[in-house]
Amino acid sequence: MTIKTFLNTTIAATVLLTAAPIMAQDAELPAADVPSLDGKTIGVTVIGTDHHWDLMAYRGQIDELESLGAEVIALDAGRSDQTQVSQIQTLIAQRPDAIIQQLGNIDVLDPWLKRIEQAGIPLFTVDTATPYAVNQSTSDNYSIGAQLALQIVKDMNGEGKIAVFNGFYSVPVCKVRYDQLKYVLESYPEIEIIEPELRDVIPNTVQSAYSDTSDMLTQYGEDSGLKAVWGCWDVPMIGATQAIADSGRTDVKTYGVDGSPEYVEMVADPDSPAGAVAAQQPYAIGQQAARNVAMYLGDEEIPPFSFLPAVLITKDNADETAAPFLPGAAGETSGGETEGGSSSN
Amino acid sequence: MTAIADGPPRAGAHRGRNISKLVIRLGAFVGFALIVIYFAFTARGFTTPYNLTNIVEQSTILGILAYGMTLVFAGTGTDVQRGGIDLSIAANAGLCAAVYAVLMRAGYGGYVAVPAALVTGMAVGALNGFAVVALRIMPLLATLAVMNIAEGLELTLTENTVVAVNSPLIDTLAFGRFLGISTLSWVFVIVSLALIWIAHYSRTGLRLYAVGGHAEAARAAGVRNGSYVYGAYIGAGLLAGLTSILIVARLSSSTPGTGQMLLPVLAAALLGTVFSRRLIPTIGGTLLAALFIGTLANGFQLLGISSYWVSGVQGALILVVVAATSFAKNS
Repeated sequence: MTIKTFLNTTIAATVLLTAAPIMAQDAELPAADVPSLDGKTIGVTVIGTDHHWDLMAYRGQIDELESLGAEVIALDAGRSDQTQVSQIQTLIAQRPDAIIQQLGNIDVLDPWLKRIEQAGIPLFTVDTATPYAVNQSTSDNYSIGAQLALQIVKDMNGEGKIAVFNGFYSVPVCKVRYDQLKYVLESYPEIEIIEPELRDVIPNTVQSAYSDTSDMLTQYGEDSGLKAVWGCWDVPMIGATQAIADSGRTDVKTYGVDGSPEYVEMVADPDSPAGAVAAQQPYAIGQQAARNVAMYLGDEEIPPFSFLPAVLITKDNADETAAPFLPGAAGETSGGETEGGSSSN
Repeated sequence: MTAIADGPPRAGAHRGRNISKLVIRLGAFVGFALIVIYFAFTARGFTTPYNLTNIVEQSTILGILAYGMTLVFAGTGTDVQRGGIDLSIAANAGLCAAVYAVLMRAGYGGYVAVPAALVTGMAVGALNGFAVVALRIMPLLATLAVMNIAEGLELTLTENTVVAVNSPLIDTLAFGRFLGISTLSWVFVIVSLALIWIAHYSRTGLRLYAVGGHAEAARAAGVRNGSYVYGAYIGAGLLAGLTSILIVARLSSSTPGTGQMLLPVLAAALLGTVFSRRLIPTIGGTLLAALFIGTLANGFQLLGISSYWVSGVQGALILVVVAATSFAKNS
């Protein structure tokens, strides 16, 4: 990596980590008639808030819970599984009226989520599929995974090689998205996933992805058939996209999920190798989880999942779709209906 | 170490040092008590029996790893600024957890995986001992290098992913209870008692402290210093191996990031010195220090204060403790 590219990568990572707090809030849910949470204490535990998606979803929960009148005990585990387990244990000791849990490794979490259920505390999750939750607020990751996969197939013209970052298969939403990619590719046998897969990491996500992708580009030259780099989220794709741009290659594109403003900007840039991103509404997802808590405690029916709409932003449609997700975009009301089988959603 | 005989002209300075030590020690106990009282009044649920047992349980992994560090401190120089250190201990636990989890997933069962994890821990400890004793590398650098080796091996084994483990032993360790107390807490109690006996009442322990306290005197008395330094590092490695099983039990898997525990482990082992009469690393002092840090983390969680603050406080504690003990010994 040259000094220039290293600086570019570092600056991008820094912007990513520092831009979120000063950015306008993400798209919000439209106002709705939701029961009050006055006098209720709600625990919130998240694995980390160091990425745009995580922070927005976390803020969405806290803002909505507080606006509904709840006292909120919000705990950020700082990306430590051990800390998150301790936090869940501590929350159980406090006997809140409900707990919302966001993201994390399902193998680590499930036994502890079971204990929340056993303690008689209703559990709500954000992006964690578990049998112990009353409800999961999330995007329709089945659809996201398949749509993104089909876009890749289209851009690759049905043949070639894909490099995938698969470091977080134990995170349920990543599992769904990757399984959907592989399911779609079953119908396109001319497309091959390169083995061994790459591993995206936290922290140093962007830098590590830059270096892994650079190595991959060296190993798979222009005639190799490598046409796409895929990640189940988009922060590693920022590094991957920069690595491809810096190599001067125009035959490889990147694809990710989430809608981090910096990556959406890359997809919207016609000259960037970023191919497409499934952009989500994390703030609205967090708000939905809070509303579900209020409705449940207000004795209303709650479906097992609440899906918030996501948008597939591609090079072709970026003019119409990217604006609300770009850096500094003003908070807009999504007006999006959630899907979950309940009219109250 | 202050075991040098002081002549009559230095009696005043000696008395001054003793008073400084007493003040620091009392300050540590009073500080601990004040923090507990503060949390009891401000943090919802802090004093419930369930939460108090949580604190012990949440301090177990930290405490046992910090015991390993304490053994190294004891055997390589009870003056923690000039003596030895084991920066690899947390990464070693991560590697042992990976060995255990990967073997379990490969179907070997606990009879193979548990000893393999323990032997891995001891092997890494022996490597530290070799680097420090035979190669005479400064402990800070030697164990830093070994830390990187352990981290690299862990990533190679797990490919930086979560390796899930499911076994009756894991279930019992994570969720079992006996007489209303969790298995993890029982392990902490038993290991603590065993190590207090080994370090402070057995012949081996007393010789270990002699080697760490005054290497020349110990050598003159016929103690083979090198063996005890090896022993301290291997013992720390064994404790890292034991802790790795507890980590896997608590997380139902081996996960990346165990190496991040180094700061709290170091903080607990150093803080432990201010709970001891002579301001030296002791198992009892480290036990109190681990509970102190566990209490802080628990209280912060109950009050909804960011976990990042806990790291900051741990760093500050290291500075304060090292500065205070150094001041007391030199005054």
